[in-house]
Amino acid sequence: MSDIFYLVTALAFFGISIAYVKGCEKLRGGSHD
Amino acid sequence: MTAFGILQLALYAGLLFLITKPLGSYMARVFQGEKTLLSKPLGGLERATYRLLGIDPNRDMKWTEYAIAMLVFSLASLVFTYAALRLQGVLPLNPQHYTTKQMTPDLAFNTAVSFTTNTNWQAYSPEVTISYFSNMVALAIHNWASAAVGIAIAIAVIRGFARKSASGIGNFWADTVRCTLYVLLPISLLGALVFIALGVPQNFDPYLTVTTLEGAKQTIALGPVASQEVIKQLGTNGGGIFNANSSHPFENPSGIANFFTLLLIWSIPAAITYTFGKMVGNTKQGWAVLGAMAALGLAGILICTSAEQAGTSHLHAAHIETAATALQSGGNMEGKEVRFGIPSSALFATVTTGASCGAVNSMHDSYTPLGGLVPLFNMLTGEVIFGGVGAGLYGMLMFAILAVFIAGLMVGRTPEYIGKKIEKFEVQMAMLATLVLAASVLLGAAVVSVIDLPKEGAWAFLNTWPGSAYGGADSVYGATANNVNNSGAHGFSEMLYAFASATGNNGSAFAGITANTPFYNVLLGLAMLVGRFLMIVPLLAMAGALAKKAAVPVTSGTFPTDNATFTALLVGVVLIVGALTYFPGLALGPIVEHFQLQALATH
Repeated sequence: MSDIFYLVTALAFFGISIAYVKGCEKLRGGSHD
Repeated sequence: MTAFGILQLALYAGLLFLITKPLGSYMARVFQGEKTLLSKPLGGLERATYRLLGIDPNRDMKWTEYAIAMLVFSLASLVFTYAALRLQGVLPLNPQHYTTKQMTPDLAFNTAVSFTTNTNWQAYSPEVTISYFSNMVALAIHNWASAAVGIAIAIAVIRGFARKSASGIGNFWADTVRCTLYVLLPISLLGALVFIALGVPQNFDPYLTVTTLEGAKQTIALGPVASQEVIKQLGTNGGGIFNANSSHPFENPSGIANFFTLLLIWSIPAAITYTFGKMVGNTKQGWAVLGAMAALGLAGILICTSAEQAGTSHLHAAHIETAATALQSGGNMEGKEVRFGIPSSALFATVTTGASCGAVNSMHDSYTPLGGLVPLFNMLTGEVIFGGVGAGLYGMLMFAILAVFIAGLMVGRTPEYIGKKIEKFEVQMAMLATLVLAASVLLGAAVVSVIDLPKEGAWAFLNTWPGSAYGGADSVYGATANNVNNSGAHGFSEMLYAFASATGNNGSAFAGITANTPFYNVLLGLAMLVGRFLMIVPLLAMAGALAKKAAVPVTSGTFPTDNATFTALLVGVVLIVGALTYFPGLALGPIVEHFQLQALATH
């Protein structure tokens, strides 16, 4: 597999991680502190 | 244990505790932006770095900003390393002329991920694969950066407990720069000089070819070893300059170098517990956490050393001397350096896996089943037995949240920790971090235990080792069971260990797996990414939520978390979570292997 595949894989993982940050923040918004 | 083993352990523990308070106190001053001895000589460099990068170190970040800055920084440094590794053939400091032939795209991905995540899993032999430039720039940069990021995250989590009604948890860039300049740099400079004095080489010479006593030709690999060795150990990175890692005489030339290495590995993870206590205003809180780490660490050292010292029934049956004498270590010496013997090897194995370092001075695959169980269990705890720099503390604080939650359930009170009410969201985040690790280890090990990849056709490359890059022939494995040297329980242990090591960001190998194939490089690479970042994010979210809370006054009903009772509870929670989650896996691997060995001895 080519360089592009691995770079896209890395980008996709970090994209998902940023979505994960947003998801955790959304969950916090739904809970009281 | 032998008298030497006990003496060495006592000296090690004594020196470690002596380091903890001054280093922890110093780190607290650094991260709170107070003046230190190094403020004058390094302050200019710190300010210049901020100016160059356009950073306002006083700008407080919300947890989401902190997390995204960390992710962006990690992605950028990962891509840089990937590119530098793939381009090593046209970059300088490459006297052996290594190219993309050795550094294939999947190996570059695995290696870049590995060093970015502080794992330093090496699916390759460094001395026949990568140039000095790759070693010193592409990889060593992460030995600093990934360690600094881990410590910065721990400091941000500490601020979550320390701050009251605050919206931010610090500045990621300032924390990372301060850690690099004031903590890692001075210790590394001094440590490198110590290693050079102890006989570790530091040069850019081409490899030497010498004639051995038997008349054979041997190539001796060299390089800038001392400067990399120190940050490799101090930053709990663990990636070897040589394939034999810390059993190589150029990385670890003597018993004293071995002892110094052990001190480097646990120094920051121990000291940061004091930093935690100092920053939350009660150093006893830090000692309670350190107590739990030390109790778990000591238990592992005693079990591992005793198992290795006892040897196996097969060694006894073969009339091999297993009792220690003045001239030899006795016990199970397979895979161990004669220079280090049983005590220094077993201590190293426990320390390096407890700390998410991953450097090895012996082959863990050769340990007795119970001796090998200890390094494996250490990693499966989520690397909290001292743990990686920073990572050990934030992992242990995750368990502390679970401990006070369980204690709260038992007495029917809302749990509190360091003056903060622990509510639904904090427990959700702690559980998310725990479950992500377990899912990565168990699913990964399960998949590679059963998957049957094609041995022929267009997809055969997936599980092919590129032997032609090293002057041999490619090996097409097909089913993943073919990549392991051993069948049965030991083979399963090798697979479980690989995913525990990758997910725990440890990087040590049980050996026995040929992991440099596209399939393993991608799967283990993803396990490293999940183990690092999908654990950090919920812990930062927890820190953000805690920082916003007001302090709860201590009352007669507050469960104290700064005493030995809490330490015991914390140890219990780590053991119970570890046992409940991983016992089936351990039972199929080292535990069943232990009983198989016993059964063979009695027939």
